[in-house]
Amino acid sequence: MAYAYLFKYIIIGDTGVGKSCLLLQFTDKRFQPVHDLTIGVEFGARMITIDGKQIKLQIWDTAGQESFRSITRSYYRGAAGALLVYDITRRDTFNHLTTWLEDARQHSNSNMVIMLIGNKSDLESRREVKKEEGEAFAREHGLIFMETSAKTASNVEEAFINTAKEIYEKIQEGVFDINNEANGIKIGPQHAATNSSLAGGQGGQQAGGGCC
Amino acid sequence: MNFFRGVMGGQPAGPQPSGADTIQKLCDRVASSTLLEDRRDAVRALKSLSKKYRMEVGTQAMDHLIHILQTDRSDSEILGYALDTLYNIICSDEEEEPDKDKIKVLIVSLYIHVFWSDLSVYLCLLTALLKSQCAQVQGIILVSPMGVSRLMDLLADSREVIRNDGLLLLQQLTKGNAAIQKIVAFENAFERLLDIITEEGTSDGGIVVEDCLLLLLNLLKNNSSNQNFFKEGSYIQRMKPWFEVGDDNSGWSAQKVTNLHLMLQLVRVMVSPVNSPGATASCQKSMFQCGLLQQLCTILMATGVPADILTETINTVSEVIRGSQVNQDYFASVNAPSNPPRPAIVVLLMSMVNERQPFVLRCAVLYCFQCFLYKNQKGQGEIVATLLPSTIDANSISAGQLLCGGLFSADSLSNWCAAVALGHALQDNLTQKEQLLRVQLATSLGKPPVSLLQQCTNILSQGSKVQTRVGLLMLLCTWMSNCPIAVTHFLHNQENVPFLTAQISENLGEDERLVQGLCALLLGICIYYNDNSLENYTKEKLKQLIEKRIGKENFVEKLGFITKHELYSRAAQKPQPAFSTPEHMLFDHEFTKLVKELEGFITKAVHKSSEEDKKEEEVKKTLEQHDSIVTQYKELIREQDSQINELKEQVSLLSSQKDQMQSAITQQLSQIQQHKDQYNILKLKLGKDSGQSDGGQQVNGLQLEELTLLREELEELRRQHTLLNTQLTDKDKLISSLVSTATYSPAQSVKY
Repeated sequence: MAYAYLFKYIIIGDTGVGKSCLLLQFTDKRFQPVHDLTIGVEFGARMITIDGKQIKLQIWDTAGQESFRSITRSYYRGAAGALLVYDITRRDTFNHLTTWLEDARQHSNSNMVIMLIGNKSDLESRREVKKEEGEAFAREHGLIFMETSAKTASNVEEAFINTAKEIYEKIQEGVFDINNEANGIKIGPQHAATNSSLAGGQGGQQAGGGCC
Repeated sequence: MNFFRGVMGGQPAGPQPSGADTIQKLCDRVASSTLLEDRRDAVRALKSLSKKYRMEVGTQAMDHLIHILQTDRSDSEILGYALDTLYNIICSDEEEEPDKDKIKVLIVSLYIHVFWSDLSVYLCLLTALLKSQCAQVQGIILVSPMGVSRLMDLLADSREVIRNDGLLLLQQLTKGNAAIQKIVAFENAFERLLDIITEEGTSDGGIVVEDCLLLLLNLLKNNSSNQNFFKEGSYIQRMKPWFEVGDDNSGWSAQKVTNLHLMLQLVRVMVSPVNSPGATASCQKSMFQCGLLQQLCTILMATGVPADILTETINTVSEVIRGSQVNQDYFASVNAPSNPPRPAIVVLLMSMVNERQPFVLRCAVLYCFQCFLYKNQKGQGEIVATLLPSTIDANSISAGQLLCGGLFSADSLSNWCAAVALGHALQDNLTQKEQLLRVQLATSLGKPPVSLLQQCTNILSQGSKVQTRVGLLMLLCTWMSNCPIAVTHFLHNQENVPFLTAQISENLGEDERLVQGLCALLLGICIYYNDNSLENYTKEKLKQLIEKRIGKENFVEKLGFITKHELYSRAAQKPQPAFSTPEHMLFDHEFTKLVKELEGFITKAVHKSSEEDKKEEEVKKTLEQHDSIVTQYKELIREQDSQINELKEQVSLLSSQKDQMQSAITQQLSQIQQHKDQYNILKLKLGKDSGQSDGGQQVNGLQLEELTLLREELEELRRQHTLLNTQLTDKDKLISSLVSTATYSPAQSVKY
């Protein structure tokens, strides 16, 4: 499928906050209740539409465990967006946000869009972190904020799409250097090279200009 | 040990200084000389000794050399010597292990000097380090921040030498380390490598293309995350042009063969049967959609393709179509460009049953045929149909004909392949198992035709080669398992059971053990899938026969010969038939699954007494009865459920109607009230007017007329009102009756 832009995301945050579940809900529209530790990183992808343009999201879901930290750090530099996730039912995961943020800021490119996510919003009765606290933290550090539930799919689409919107706006503003792939952004092949499958025999000339 | 031998053994008796002594002296000079020239000379001398006395230089000079790398970085000459020396030391195939810290220091110091000295030497050095100390160096690079990312930048280096050295380094770096493989992929390795391959002219490119492909293989093999990324990044589509090999296949350089081979392997990695079914299916789909499969089929049918490439292409096509209905259908429609055009399947089968074709090619064709039929009922039906009397076309060679020819040819390999291939046409397909029973063969002139089943058992009893008999027995087992009619057909021939019992009970040599095991399996199938329709060969009678002629224990032991065979477990591992020699061609992968499934059942069935059998039969029957009762009730409940739903809908419809009516009535009531008021006002007015003057008579007369009109209207409205009222009560009644039925029905269903 042709796309206008490709954005690379990473998902970071403490272990067990629901990073993999968010990804699974976003790419496969399903929820897996059993916690299966992510080893290193896992990859997922999906196409979305913003402003009438097809945008491909490539998402790397990282392991939250401390032992994988050095591995997952390698992914910061090449990402255009990051979802920083905590669990609203576990205060410690909220307390660790500063460390995560420092780590991300240190290793990523300065334009990386970071979305703060308070996950497990369906577990209202066990809530330990107020929504206002999340909002305040986001405001203080210049992040976008959202509470989601990977279980009920509430706000999951929005979290990924709003991050993409922010990146898209930054591109329009000219903040990102889109020709440098190291920023985690790539311009799509646009309309080129889609009709080559019809040309059976000689594959000699195939350059542009067929339809226009 | 090596160290000691090097030091002790190399010691000459005379006054000449030993290697170790010289090295010690040089080390001292490196460490203590204040003049750069002196240190430089010493390192150069060490370098010259480092090949001959690798161990000695390594153990004695390593620290000094690393020190030099750190302190003398400004002098490129001495750095070069030191690096060369280190390279010589590390490039060793000896098992001696330098410790991790030293490696770390080495890498770090080397890294600091990357921009100072010769980058190419640095890369070679690191590659060499990786080769000898793979896991340790991988670990060090992985935890160093941006370590892998920096190395990835090498692929974008404008200097070709550096890029190529970088390729070799990454090849070593990514070996067997999934975490590094993923980071390398994240750093756009796929994009870069595919670009390089295209720039270098794909398969016509040189060794650089080969290096790129090897690196791609490292990144994708057994790494589902990277495979997913590769697929999602639409890189499969970019592989298609690789296989656009022209029609004049005259010049196939050795490099081109190697490159294409790796390209085909790369396709196979993406659709390997060991991957998760979902992942393989989606890759298969995009390979068809982008035309990759079609391109591969073109190579398959092209002329002049080296046998090696052809074989691998067949294997690749096999895995691209395996279990994918769309791709299998496409494959069935491919024709060879012969005159008249023949289906590709037929052309391939011709090679399979042709003794002069290379063994690996024949194996590949068998694999292709198996993959074509895997989970493909339609394809199975088409193959079996070519054998049925009604559809035989005498004018052209069909798949069925070739298989039968192979089954009964003099070449045991052809027998085996054809038997296994035909077995795959029956796999999990009861209809085709029954259809195949209809096949009749004309043997020789003047004799009546023989059924295919009969012919198989005839050949079996003639005592041909082990490979032939194994093939036929596997075919019979596959055919008769789960198919009581086939069992009956088999038992119908009076000679078959005595033949089997004789085979099993005899005390035969080592080579015959597998055949005995398979005979036991076949007899077991005759018991397990027996519908007791032949009086002489009921389950019970066959079991008695085993007890009398063979003995239960003996039978079970013989049955166990199959799984105990040394080649069994290897075949059970993966679907592709891979045999080191033609003689090893004995087990088929699907068949091993069947054995695994049946062995336990048959053992149980043989051990069970007739009473247990009967009991079980009864239990089965009652269970079935229960099942049917449950399904009856389920249906009833379903019916009632739909009834309730209908009624509910009706109720809601009626109540909404009722609401409408009610609002109409209230409207009309208020209208009536208005009219009444008007009427009263008019009446009052009339009274006043008549009392006041006579001049207003005319006006009053008019009012009177109006009055009667209004009265009539009022009357009309009243009538309407009563009518609506009665309608309303009707509806109310209906609703209440429906509500009562609705509440009654669920109660009814709960009862069951």
